[in-house]
Amino acid sequence: MISILKWGGIIFLYLFLSIFFKSCTRPEDNAIKPLEQKVQMPDSTQVIIPTYRPKIHTVEISGMKFNPDVITVHKGDTIIWKNNDLVVHCVTELPTNAWTSSKIPPGASWEMVVNTSSNYFCAIHLVMKGKIIVE
Amino acid sequence: MKKIMKVITGVIVSIVILTGSVFAQTTPKLTDPEIASVAVVANQIDINNAKIAKQKSKNSDILKFAQTMSDDHSAVIKQAVALVTKLKVTPKDNAVSKKLLSDAEKTQKGLRAKSGKDFDKAYIDNEVAYHKAVIAAINTLLIPQSQNAELKKFLQDVLPAFNTHLEHAEMVQKMFSK
Repeated sequence: MISILKWGGIIFLYLFLSIFFKSCTRPEDNAIKPLEQKVQMPDSTQVIIPTYRPKIHTVEISGMKFNPDVITVHKGDTIIWKNNDLVVHCVTELPTNAWTSSKIPPGASWEMVVNTSSNYFCAIHLVMKGKIIVE
Repeated sequence: MKKIMKVITGVIVSIVILTGSVFAQTTPKLTDPEIASVAVVANQIDINNAKIAKQKSKNSDILKFAQTMSDDHSAVIKQAVALVTKLKVTPKDNAVSKKLLSDAEKTQKGLRAKSGKDFDKAYIDNEVAYHKAVIAAINTLLIPQSQNAELKKFLQDVLPAFNTHLEHAEMVQKMFSK
């Protein structure tokens, strides 16, 4: 009788812990893993094409800095710049102003899908600089 | 050239007076309402300087810098007012805020008398000097003497903006020394 209770307890604990840890897995953990896409060819062979689910990255603007100031992403990923500072900022490509967020007021954010590496700055505060590296 | 030297000397003298006599030698003891007044006045002075620059300058680097000063210091005042309202603190005039105002009046009178490149250079030289003096005042006077924790934190939070303004002003200043 005691051993049934003992084993029952162990099984219960195992089930509880496995459910608990599974629920702790963040959904974005799956997003960074490359996925495979199976494509059926006309001659009935199967081709496996690796695909990548784009990820979302956040750059916080605070204390007159881009945090992080250098960010490495994959082509097609999205970067969100969130202005948590006291003043208005912007995100503008360097050196040709190829793209710009225009003004991002405190509390607001701006996002962009990234395809190429670039340097950028805040055109309002010229000394604030950042860099995007596309792998 | 003599005029420029006069302005530079004037600016240097005012920094010495500002940092030396008001902020260091006498080391005034300020209450929170007095600190709030100094914070608002210091920001307002730079908004007024920017206003003069926007009226007088035709240089795009100067105009952009002046616009940033006007926008950022207005944002800081707005938040300072919101904070003191929340804390039920009424800003109170004092020796430091009065000294800042009387010095600013002299500086602004000097700026108004200039034009063209002379004005641009005098304006940006003053911005470099002024931000240095205000940063020193926040660090050595306003932050250490703040009693209220939220007021102290607010002053610490505005420092990066002042430091960035100083770097920006020095960058523009370099363009004029070429």
